[in-house]
Amino acid sequence: MLNRKVSFLYKVLSFTAVLVSFGSCREILEPPPVDLLVDDLVLRGPDDMDPVRIGLYNAVRSFGSATIFAGDFTPDYIQNNGTFTDYNELGTKQITAANTLASTLWGNIYSTIYIANFIDENIGKVSRVSQDEKDALVAQANFCRAYAYFIAAYSFGDVPKVTTTDVQTNRAIARAPQSEILALVREQYEAALEKLPERWDADNATLNKQFATKNAARAGLARYYLYQGEWANAEKMATDVINNKLQALDSSYVAVISTEFDAESIFEVAYGNTSSDDPGTSSTGLNNILVGRREVIPSNSYVAQLINVHAGTRTATISFSSANQQGRDNGWTVTKYGTPDQGNNNITIFRLAEMYLIRAEARAQQGKISGSSGALADVNVLRKRAKAPLASFTNQALALSTIETERLYELSFEGHRWYDLKRTGRLNAVMTAFSQNWNEKYKVWPIPVTEMQTNRNLKQNDGY
Amino acid sequence: MNRYFTLFLGVLSLLLFFSSGLMAQVRPIAGKVTLATDGSAVPGVTVVVKGSTAGTTTDANGNYTLNVPRGQQVIVYTFVGLEPQEITVGSGRSTVNVVMEESKTELSQVIVTGYSELQRRDVIGSIASVKNDRFKDLPITGFDQALQGQAAGVQVSQSSGTPGGGIAIRIRGNTSISASNRPLFIVDGTPVFDGSVTSRDFGGQNDNSLAVVNPNDIASIEVLKDASAKAIYGSRGANGVVIITTKRGRNNKTSVTADIQRGVVQLIGKPKLLNSTQLVELQRDAATAAGQNPDELGLIPGVTDLVNTDWVSEILRRGILQQYQLTASGGTEKTRFYFSGGVRDEEGVQLNNRFTRYTGALNLDHMVNHRLKFAANVNVSMTQNDRIKGDNFLDGVYSGAIKSLPYYSPYDEMGRLYVPNDPNYPDFPNFNPVGQALLPRFRTYGLKMIAGVSMDANLTKELVFRSKVSMDYNNGEEDQYEPSTTAIGGALPSAGGKGYGVYSTSTQYTLVNSNVFSYSKSIDDRHSLNALLGNEIIHTQARSSSVSGRMFPSNQFTYINSAGVVDQGGSFYAQSGLVSFFGEVKYDFKDKYLVGATLRTDGSSRFGQNRRFGYFPSVSAAWRLSEEAFLDKVKFLDDLKLRASYGFTGNERIGNFQYLGTWAAAVYNGNTGVGPNRLPNNNLQWERTNEINLGLDASMFENRLRLVAEVYRNLTDKLLYSEPIPLTTGYGSIQGNIGTVVNKGIEFSVSSDNLTGELKWSTDFNITRNLNNVKMLAKGDTLYRGYTASGVGATNAILAGQPLGTFWGLKFLGVDPATGNALYEDINGDGKISSEDGQVIGNAQPDFYGGLTNRISYKGFDLSILLHFMYGNKVLNLTKQSLLNAGEDIETNQEIAALRRWRKEGDVTDVPRYELGNTYNNYQSSRFVEDASFLRLKNVVVGYTLPARWVQRVWLQNARVFVTGTNLWTLKRYSGVDPEVSTLDGSTSAQGIDLYTLPQVKTIQGGITLSF
Repeated sequence: MLNRKVSFLYKVLSFTAVLVSFGSCREILEPPPVDLLVDDLVLRGPDDMDPVRIGLYNAVRSFGSATIFAGDFTPDYIQNNGTFTDYNELGTKQITAANTLASTLWGNIYSTIYIANFIDENIGKVSRVSQDEKDALVAQANFCRAYAYFIAAYSFGDVPKVTTTDVQTNRAIARAPQSEILALVREQYEAALEKLPERWDADNATLNKQFATKNAARAGLARYYLYQGEWANAEKMATDVINNKLQALDSSYVAVISTEFDAESIFEVAYGNTSSDDPGTSSTGLNNILVGRREVIPSNSYVAQLINVHAGTRTATISFSSANQQGRDNGWTVTKYGTPDQGNNNITIFRLAEMYLIRAEARAQQGKISGSSGALADVNVLRKRAKAPLASFTNQALALSTIETERLYELSFEGHRWYDLKRTGRLNAVMTAFSQNWNEKYKVWPIPVTEMQTNRNLKQNDGY
Repeated sequence: MNRYFTLFLGVLSLLLFFSSGLMAQVRPIAGKVTLATDGSAVPGVTVVVKGSTAGTTTDANGNYTLNVPRGQQVIVYTFVGLEPQEITVGSGRSTVNVVMEESKTELSQVIVTGYSELQRRDVIGSIASVKNDRFKDLPITGFDQALQGQAAGVQVSQSSGTPGGGIAIRIRGNTSISASNRPLFIVDGTPVFDGSVTSRDFGGQNDNSLAVVNPNDIASIEVLKDASAKAIYGSRGANGVVIITTKRGRNNKTSVTADIQRGVVQLIGKPKLLNSTQLVELQRDAATAAGQNPDELGLIPGVTDLVNTDWVSEILRRGILQQYQLTASGGTEKTRFYFSGGVRDEEGVQLNNRFTRYTGALNLDHMVNHRLKFAANVNVSMTQNDRIKGDNFLDGVYSGAIKSLPYYSPYDEMGRLYVPNDPNYPDFPNFNPVGQALLPRFRTYGLKMIAGVSMDANLTKELVFRSKVSMDYNNGEEDQYEPSTTAIGGALPSAGGKGYGVYSTSTQYTLVNSNVFSYSKSIDDRHSLNALLGNEIIHTQARSSSVSGRMFPSNQFTYINSAGVVDQGGSFYAQSGLVSFFGEVKYDFKDKYLVGATLRTDGSSRFGQNRRFGYFPSVSAAWRLSEEAFLDKVKFLDDLKLRASYGFTGNERIGNFQYLGTWAAAVYNGNTGVGPNRLPNNNLQWERTNEINLGLDASMFENRLRLVAEVYRNLTDKLLYSEPIPLTTGYGSIQGNIGTVVNKGIEFSVSSDNLTGELKWSTDFNITRNLNNVKMLAKGDTLYRGYTASGVGATNAILAGQPLGTFWGLKFLGVDPATGNALYEDINGDGKISSEDGQVIGNAQPDFYGGLTNRISYKGFDLSILLHFMYGNKVLNLTKQSLLNAGEDIETNQEIAALRRWRKEGDVTDVPRYELGNTYNNYQSSRFVEDASFLRLKNVVVGYTLPARWVQRVWLQNARVFVTGTNLWTLKRYSGVDPEVSTLDGSTSAQGIDLYTLPQVKTIQGGITLSF
């Protein structure tokens, strides 16, 4: 009897043991993560260089559309036509600190800077990679940092200068003077210019335009000098880009609107031409906002200025459809940003035409109006390409006002207008005429409310 | 593992040592115990000689043999759930057959608790129990609905009127900010997945994986509320535990039951909106106020308003609900079974919305011998859900219909639907809601299987070992196609305008193995000891994949095989694990003093390296005052018990790998690299809740009046939160355990049998007051949640001193009679209204809630009425922010209230003036926060059981017909249709927001139940 009992018990217990061991403790408690890379392993060996570089440009791309919201939606190019409050605030000039487009711009600028800083801090630890390759990655980090701070300084004014990846430091950081940020921009562009290649590949236009090259750094510096009023430097940098002929003006303006990696593009942030790498229906996707939802449409005053003989073929920047013309919708649509199927979902950051306009303005400011090295010649290069009547200004004032309009024809919806009007001091004059709600405080965007709430060392811009 | 095994053996031998007995001068008595209702044998009945320790239990056939001392003796027969019997046996008698009756009093009903069962009267913890008869006639989809208004401390809110949709259950409030607040659901010992299986967004409303368990297969639902009851579930217990026990067969002749139910479903009400003429006039005013010419905007009275469509009526219908079920149960002495098959088909009130479910259940018990028993349970259900986009979706159906402009029409003069590219198609942002309902296919297939096998071995009379392996398998497949005639498939440029299809699958399964030793021993009829010791391993896996295609040749081709472009897809895999050990000891002395203690230790893959194991103890005690001599004189008192418990529980539902610092995939021009994803936190751990509960159970007047009162305080600290940090860090947040939330409350339930004669009338009432409060947050931060809100950043805030579900915004002070503008409180006095003037403007937590059930029966007739109420909660009516938008845009229809807008100087009103494009007057403010208190006639059931003499002529055992109505009447103050909605289904920090949410439905159905 006793024996039977014990053997029965034994059977039960061995059955249990089998059950218990069907999964070992360790396997159950420490499953390996999928789809994720633990941060210690991000930048260690040769295979890690390219993924991090892609991550860096991904971050720059992430504030591409917000730069256009700031540059073109804040001023007089658009009117509101939808239901998203964020765009309504931009369209009707009632911008608040709660506007999430401000935090999109701000956040992605700083995530770019974080990756650039991460590269600086970790590049020394990468093994089995040549110094040249390391220098090239650091130079791209310099370029992206410079561009990010440039947009930050001109969109928000004083902004924090983040120099480390340390969370504790960066979460309590205060704003640094705009001048200090701009000095950093110049230093970073110059460092980038030194180590970036002229081109990444002799034959592959895509690589040379989706990643920063020396010409991208020169273009960045040209724009920087223009904004700073350093006319001679601006002229020189623009000339360097124009003269080295690595880019050439597209023969037709249509290519600017509807082609990616076209001949004159210097640097553009790129989306794939599949819907898996496209902003799609994101609330900050340019095609979605301008074409799909029609949240904003070209303003009546903008349309009136652009639909003009002097714009030439550049009127194709917008198109009209009577089907859309209902209610407050004027029927006009911005065409510069397409769907993945249309193959023009990239956002151009620098292109050759801007270099001509920078040089024209720099020359005009230096009194160089006519002749082969005068402002007029540069403007007419673009007029010719647009099949428009040539310009014919003779004095500086006329030259500058012509260039301002020429920038509208050539560069509208590429993120320039607001910044241009600010640097020429024309912002209030133009905008007061455009909107009864305009307020001087809109010369800068508000610091996002979420930043104000989480970092007590930040001070809000005046008026917000 | 080995180490724990040795521990088991040690404890086992210790327990064996206890169980030796003694023998005396005796004679044998034998007999059989049967059940009064059906004559079936009752195994497991305890048979003891009164005043001695000599006792036995009946075997599988109900037979027993007991040696009793010589002379006249009293033998006591007891069994949980049955009335105890005492039989006096003379010295000559050797056979005693006993017929036992099911107990009438709740006190002796069996309650299933963690890993064991006990009688209601022995409960020390706080446990609410809802039996099948409370919900068997109701047209509910899932058992979670069955709990509404039925139990104190259990708050059940339906998120919308969508069939098969989400339901929020909160037991004693919200403990967590960001981890799940849903209780742990255990079906027949298996923890079941309770979230949404599918991943595609339908605007906020999720599918509900609990809706796939057929409530008619459920015997009882137990809700464990305090630490002593649920600490044995450790790191999963903080939100309460709901234990579902399905029906099992009994040892009797086979009985077959057929249930047939059929009814109609319709919306409880419709919003009151402007007609075309009223809207055109309003929009003209708005345009004029903005300095625009309304004629140029095409707003021309007599022209624009020629069409007047009532969009809401166009997309609604009266749905048909039908449900059929056949069950058979019975068994022999060795084998018992229960099986059932059912089908439920519910047409939603929105066109094309339908939920169909097929369920099957099979429960088997088999006794190998008196030592060994096997049991198996299988619950399978298959669903097909034709879903409808809603809520925060522009192209939703109900959401589209309430905001669509009435001067568009769904059909052209030929009766064809207007579709994209037609000249009269409304386009962004309104589309054609009727087309949005009828044209796309959003079909979700669900499969859920809960299956388990267990073995019970009676190692000795006192020691039982149970081992169980079970699984919960959930599969969801989404088969979706939006043709070129819909918003996404046709009007959206980025999709290409030629149809858009998605097919996705997701699987979520849990494998569980538990091994439990339980020991029970009573000595001298005075000391009673129960103990259990066990371990459990839980492994969960989630897998998913999806693919989408677009550019279809025509709308006849609806599967991705035919898509011209297939350029989006994905797959994912995740797993998590829990390894646990637990034990429980309960002791009572003469049924008068009861004490208990539990301990569980959980190791979870979700916790950081430094915090892998957590310990969750509890202690409890109860004192049955009614057994004390000093209360003997209080004759009306049958039972009075005071109880107290204290312990710790946790919440481990914090997501996987949250403790690791990681980089994830980042794409640039189609190339994949890596981008920063999350900051590390090695100290990440479970949320910990410290619970105190005091309770009083009383039963009086021959158990006709029963009271339960409880007070509790649950303090949850180490709150998991992704703390927002400035974006200057490169990240938006860091995971941490940073705050404290407290829930304090009082619960009171009373049940009374008012009349017990031929006319029976009983009343159940319960009421709960729960005070939820965020006690502390790291660094005194305010966390902003919910939707982004114009003017102030976010609709919700979490801050110390306020409950979870607090609404944030400007304080609306009224409309300035001089200007017609909204007046807001300038809280910081800086002379302007900015986001810094945001403040707390209400919260979604009720002051109290509860239910009142009255049941009356007379002869064959029965009537049951449930009133459900909630008081003091607020709703943030974001629908109103669009439908009373002060002219912010003219793409949305407006509600009737817009007619009392400010029009001229001196007007005193609560609706600001309309000016096209003005956002200021429509800022997120207390203008949109409304009292959502309600009293609802939740259920009414009228039934008639046909007299036995009639039905027996047609070979029936029992026949009953009934009519049920749900949500027939609601008393409310809310200006929207239904205050019981939540657009963010399952959200805690942003609960109680109405954003185009489909109101509840009312159902009227008839049913027949036949038993053979």
